[in-house]
Amino acid sequence: MDSEDDDLYYGSGDDEEVEDGGEEEEEPDIASPVSCNLQKQYTILAEEAIKQFQENDISEVSNILSDSRALACTLLSRYNWDISFVFDEWFGNEEKVRDSTGISPKQKSVESAVYCKICLETVENNENVYTASCGHRFCADCWKSYVAVSINDGPGCVTMRCPEPKCKAVVGLDMVELVASEVDKQKYYQFLLRSYVDSKRNLKWCPAPGCELAIQFDAGDSNNYDVACDCGYKFCWNCTQESHRPVECETVDKWIKQNNSEAENTTWIMAFTKQCPKCHRNIEKNQGCNHMTCGRPCSFEFCWLCLEDWRAHTSRVCNTYKEEEEKSKEATRVHLDRYAHYYERWASNHKSWQTALADLEWLRNERIKKLANVQAEPEALLQFVLDAWIQIAECRLILKWTYAYGYYMPPEKSDKVRFFEYLQSEAETALERLHHCAEKEMDKYLNAGKPLEDFKDFRSKLAGLTNVTRNYFENLVRALENNLSEVEECVDYEKRNLPGSLDILTLST
Amino acid sequence: MVDFARVQKELQECNRDFQVSGIKVMPKGESNLAHLLGTIPGPIGTPYEGGSFKIDITLPDGYPFQPPKMKFATKVWHPNISSQSGAICLDILKDQWSPALTLKTALLSIQALLSAPEPDDPQDAIVAQQYLRDYQTFLGTARYWTEAFAMTSSIGVEEKVQKLVEMGFPEDLVRTTLENVGGDENLALEKLCST
Repeated sequence: MDSEDDDLYYGSGDDEEVEDGGEEEEEPDIASPVSCNLQKQYTILAEEAIKQFQENDISEVSNILSDSRALACTLLSRYNWDISFVFDEWFGNEEKVRDSTGISPKQKSVESAVYCKICLETVENNENVYTASCGHRFCADCWKSYVAVSINDGPGCVTMRCPEPKCKAVVGLDMVELVASEVDKQKYYQFLLRSYVDSKRNLKWCPAPGCELAIQFDAGDSNNYDVACDCGYKFCWNCTQESHRPVECETVDKWIKQNNSEAENTTWIMAFTKQCPKCHRNIEKNQGCNHMTCGRPCSFEFCWLCLEDWRAHTSRVCNTYKEEEEKSKEATRVHLDRYAHYYERWASNHKSWQTALADLEWLRNERIKKLANVQAEPEALLQFVLDAWIQIAECRLILKWTYAYGYYMPPEKSDKVRFFEYLQSEAETALERLHHCAEKEMDKYLNAGKPLEDFKDFRSKLAGLTNVTRNYFENLVRALENNLSEVEECVDYEKRNLPGSLDILTLST
Repeated sequence: MVDFARVQKELQECNRDFQVSGIKVMPKGESNLAHLLGTIPGPIGTPYEGGSFKIDITLPDGYPFQPPKMKFATKVWHPNISSQSGAICLDILKDQWSPALTLKTALLSIQALLSAPEPDDPQDAIVAQQYLRDYQTFLGTARYWTEAFAMTSSIGVEEKVQKLVEMGFPEDLVRTTLENVGGDENLALEKLCST
């Protein structure tokens, strides 16, 4: 009845029969998915928090330079929101900075009437004339249009310049706040925020659609870039693809490109289909005799082998061998078969992963309550079911990516390949058992109508399987992240201990 | 919407000092000011000298806060102008546009581009190659194109008529107007536009 026993028991032996071992345990085992075993290296930031950071940076620069917030903001966005970069440049060569951003002390206008070079009108009232720090004067209406068009043109508005041709003066926060509409102001702040996150090397937006959170990643020693956003999306912070442990970002990139490439589809069509000789639709023959009938409306009848009209078809025409054609088709077929093998498994695990995620949601929101009702258990004690499903989703994702890994291994059956396939199949088998138990066997307890005697057995079995599966996947991930280096060590060891190996070497040279 | 009040002012101002600059902007049709036709004289001392180049101008809704769209309606041989479409590679017509620039300043910039090609930033790769590798042949071709396409006197009456008719004027009116101005296509156009 001790939860620590669980860990000891299941943690130590991967090969134990779980079904027999779970008798005495009552306490649910808290399973932790693979990727959460590592210490969190990141912080999830909501828009407000990022705004606060940005505000702090602006205030700091503004304080130290004893100048306006607008000027601080201009300088920061000019120098990638890097405070020390701003100070280095400013205190290193203030003239240069002033020149490149057009920041100079405001000049008081002396003329009473101003000719606005945009609307080509003379404006009598000086109140209706604005200028950026450079002193080029334009009328208020033209400023409004200029700022509005620039903001609605997109994120580039954060580096908007004075309308005077060749003038480098930045039109900053102060002008936007003076002339922009409320809607445009909000857009501008949003672009400013975006430029802040884009400039910061340790900040990235969560790539999930509609998610407005950003993730601050503090690089540690490990190469693990997996992050889980509060929106629920898990992704690799480095390449912003979905989490893909244990496969490297480069491999993922290659694999995705391969899947997207039209070329692979085309080769598949070439190798496995023929065109109807009449209507030229591609036809895949998956069963039956060689007498083909094309789909309606074409309905053309022909021989699959020689593509002649079936009615005119005689065996004499058909049995002549065209060698070259067949050989090249064969090579394509082998390459494609291999790709299809890995792709099919990758895609099928992808689907399982997504279904598992949906199932987990369903469980969390509905079925867990039902299970608690039927089996008269407090919900808190049913955590083991959720843990099992969390584990399943984790593992499906890992398993999916190991197939991309497999595809890029050398096609010869080396020791490494064999070892990889062994680990993968062990992990896969364990996962299938866990998935089956969590899906099929749970139904029995959900639909029972009354508490069942053996529910505690189910509890210990599922918790046990969760643990075992986790161990298998930890092994798999560790091995692939080490690039299966155990195999080399093993081979080296055998070589060193091979009696007479030195003699053979001498003889052969 | 296009700020037509400003366009009106621009046209007046530009055509006022036509004698000095030689640059002219005319509305293409009578219905609106969003489609215009500019004319620039080929700069003296260049293979474009003596030519009169027509620039097709379309004003976007955001004008003058968005740049006008300009392309050559006259065929021209120049590294930064497409010999096929007349498209112009010029920064002020793109990201360097400023609302304080005008159609006239833009046309002046195009004229300056005719004087100073930038073959390292080409619009027409073939012309740019020729400019860099065989400058003499480039000069010859550019001059020949100027004579063939940009010189009013070299164009036969029928061609002038066809051109003006394509701009949307009735043929009868075009013929009488051309006759009245002694066959000068530009003057005829000016007259047609002002009637």
